[in-house]
Amino acid sequence: MITIIDLNIGNIGSVVNMIKHVGGNCKVSSDPAEIKAATKLILPGVGSFDKAMNQLRNNKLEEVINEKATLQKTPLLGICLGMQLLTSSSEEGKEKGLGLIPAETLSFKKTFDVKEINERIPHMGWNDIRVEQENDLTKNLIESSRFYFVHSYYVKCSNKENCLMTSNYGFDFASAIVKNNVFGVQFHPEKSHKYGKKVISNFVKL
Amino acid sequence: MLRKRIIPCLLLQNESLVKTIRFKKPSYIGDVINTVRIFNELEVDELILLDIKATTSKTEPNFELLKDIASECFMPLAYGGGIKNLEQAKKIIEIGFEKVIINSGAYSSNDLITQIADELGNQCVIGSLDVKKSFLGNYVVYSNSGNQKEKINPFQWAKELESLGAGEIMITSITQEGTWNGFDVELIEKITKQVNVPVIAHGGAGSSKDIEEVFCLNVNAAAVGSMLVYQKKGMGVLVNVNNLKR
Amino acid sequence: MNLEKNKEINLKVCTRCIYDEHVDQITFNQYGVCNYCLQVDDLIEMYGTANPKGRATFEAYIAEIKSAGKRKKYDVIVGVSGGTDSSFMLHLAIKEGLRPLAVHYDNTWNTAIATQNIQKITDTLNVDLYTYVVDNKEADDIFKAFLYSGVSEIEASTDLALAEVMYRAASKFNVKYIFEGHSFIEEGITPLGKNYFDGKYIKEIHKRYGKYPMKTYPLMTFSRFIYWTVFKRIKKIRPFWYIDYNKENAKNFLKKEFNWEYYGGHHLENRMTAFCHSFYFPNKFKVDYRNNTLSAEVRNKKTTREEALKIYNTPPYIEENLLQYFKKRLSLSDEEFESIMNQPLRYWYEFPTYKKFFERLRPLFFLLAKANLVPMSFYLKYCFPTK
Repeated sequence: MITIIDLNIGNIGSVVNMIKHVGGNCKVSSDPAEIKAATKLILPGVGSFDKAMNQLRNNKLEEVINEKATLQKTPLLGICLGMQLLTSSSEEGKEKGLGLIPAETLSFKKTFDVKEINERIPHMGWNDIRVEQENDLTKNLIESSRFYFVHSYYVKCSNKENCLMTSNYGFDFASAIVKNNVFGVQFHPEKSHKYGKKVISNFVKL
Repeated sequence: MLRKRIIPCLLLQNESLVKTIRFKKPSYIGDVINTVRIFNELEVDELILLDIKATTSKTEPNFELLKDIASECFMPLAYGGGIKNLEQAKKIIEIGFEKVIINSGAYSSNDLITQIADELGNQCVIGSLDVKKSFLGNYVVYSNSGNQKEKINPFQWAKELESLGAGEIMITSITQEGTWNGFDVELIEKITKQVNVPVIAHGGAGSSKDIEEVFCLNVNAAAVGSMLVYQKKGMGVLVNVNNLKR
Repeated sequence: MNLEKNKEINLKVCTRCIYDEHVDQITFNQYGVCNYCLQVDDLIEMYGTANPKGRATFEAYIAEIKSAGKRKKYDVIVGVSGGTDSSFMLHLAIKEGLRPLAVHYDNTWNTAIATQNIQKITDTLNVDLYTYVVDNKEADDIFKAFLYSGVSEIEASTDLALAEVMYRAASKFNVKYIFEGHSFIEEGITPLGKNYFDGKYIKEIHKRYGKYPMKTYPLMTFSRFIYWTVFKRIKKIRPFWYIDYNKENAKNFLKKEFNWEYYGGHHLENRMTAFCHSFYFPNKFKVDYRNNTLSAEVRNKKTTREEALKIYNTPPYIEENLLQYFKKRLSLSDEEFESIMNQPLRYWYEFPTYKKFFERLRPLFFLLAKANLVPMSFYLKYCFPTK
């Protein structure tokens, strides 16, 4: 059973809706026992890095997720803030991230200032992606796929092999990351029509 | 490359969809759930739903209806109308909307936008302002669905909304709304230059040329009403996206 | 869904089309050909369909329409739904040099394909569109009333409303002609008996089972009907009764010329009719109206009896999550929906209708039919007693 981790922030209904739409089954939970029993995990997220990490820790979920991802090799998909939580840290806050993928979350504003790029923040709207490596999540994506992004922080991978997709907003940034069974997508597949449906469908079919 | 968004803007009145001209004379468009379903089928970029009576009649957002609407969509949704506190905003986000639109609510309590932005992130809040162009060419801000004049000028107010925490600014020209005569380009250009967050232009789109024109002003999105619910100007109701190609 | 159609042993099936003995008021001649096939033959003979006689009649109507329409903004009303027949009819009107007004009745259950099709065609042909949108709460209340009543004619409110709205548009713009897209060749004649509707029937069902007052719903009462036909003298012409019309060819033409899209089946461009034809009728009433169009295709030699029977014996196409949407729109719980599906069947003749009126006024309607003020098929169906 795919279990969506409930951080009590933001809307999970759309993720549930899309999973059902592609023929999958899922439940929503913040209970460590239920999450331990999951066959696949989804970590959604809206809001701030620190709040989300604190929520995970308060519910004793950090260890469970780490164990599921690294020891049991349970497929895990982080969406938007959920993807950023997979990294080691974020310039948005002070808390440490889950550190499941060697990467860090940085600020668009800071980078734009340094690179003297004049784009508005947050990065909001439909953008293209470039698939950097083929795997089960990216196979058979619809041609010229575009997805809905809304974020003020972006992820930078330490190693190229963890970068699954890139997108461009002033500069190239990682729009999807991967390490073995752990995936992260910066965009919202559940709000990206048929393009997102394909990604969710691929995850459900893993 | 980030694309500019074209967003259908639907007006809700007592569970039905209506369309106004200059915020007046609402005429019936149809069933909101079916219309939203059609727009989802047509794969629109995003959808804005505004309850035009909620603030003036002091009613709460219709959460049941919003739930039904959210379950029809696989694209981002924004809702505005009668949101007065953080609890309501949270509930709307939990139901399945990406963003809440705060307009009248910001004048009475400056805190509202900041509270929502702090709790849910500033990308969840659109700060919205409705503006009339007076006979002499002055811009005046109105709240309460165009019924109440506000003392602040739109350029200051837009900046204020941004500093309060709005992740996007939506500018509606009351004077142009529903007329098919084009956006108020002067107003939009000026405000867009003042803020650093994405801007949604709204009110008056009559053709794809109008939309192109406003995109050249560096707005991030164009919210469109009449063009998407009528066959053409002065003609019958027809939910469509073909007018965007004219 | 398990229909067991035509799997019955010794089920009598027409040797020409695929209507079987379950079809109301069907009879077979010594060659096993059903009365409906013969009726179509008679109509083809009468109207000269797809031959010079029909063409000549049609051209005469065109001339009449043009003449009556001089100095008016529009000369003919064309009802549009986004479907094949009405879309093609609009093209036909323009091709013949007419100045049509497209009229659409929005029952608030349109699909995107329907609205896009209407837009594409009216836009390309530069035709104005007049839409009547009924209040969604009222429309749904009427639909629900029909569901709760147990009768089958849920579509009645939409069909009759479109007819009334076309008359209103015609009257508003002083147009004397309405084009209707019915084709007895492509659709056959709907068998008499089980299905019936008129304004009184709709009003009665709504009165007994509805909740909201009927304010925006355009009800065609008997007096309105007489007003439009006898006093306003608005004529109804059915082009496909005269000219050579082939649905498949029409679809291909529309796709090519207008980028028009097909929606998968007759009446499936609207979700309410899709629910009726794909689910409600087959499951509750054990009736599959695809036999109409399939029989027509067999009669026209567009498909073989075997092919048609094969299609007829597979369950109808139903859009993904249509039932869920249906229940959501009408606020029906799963239990309520089940109980509606399982409640006893009821029939139109158990309720007050105008039927007796129509029968008593048969001579009048005969004259009106001859003058094209009411369709001949109306006369044949409504003015004779049913067994």
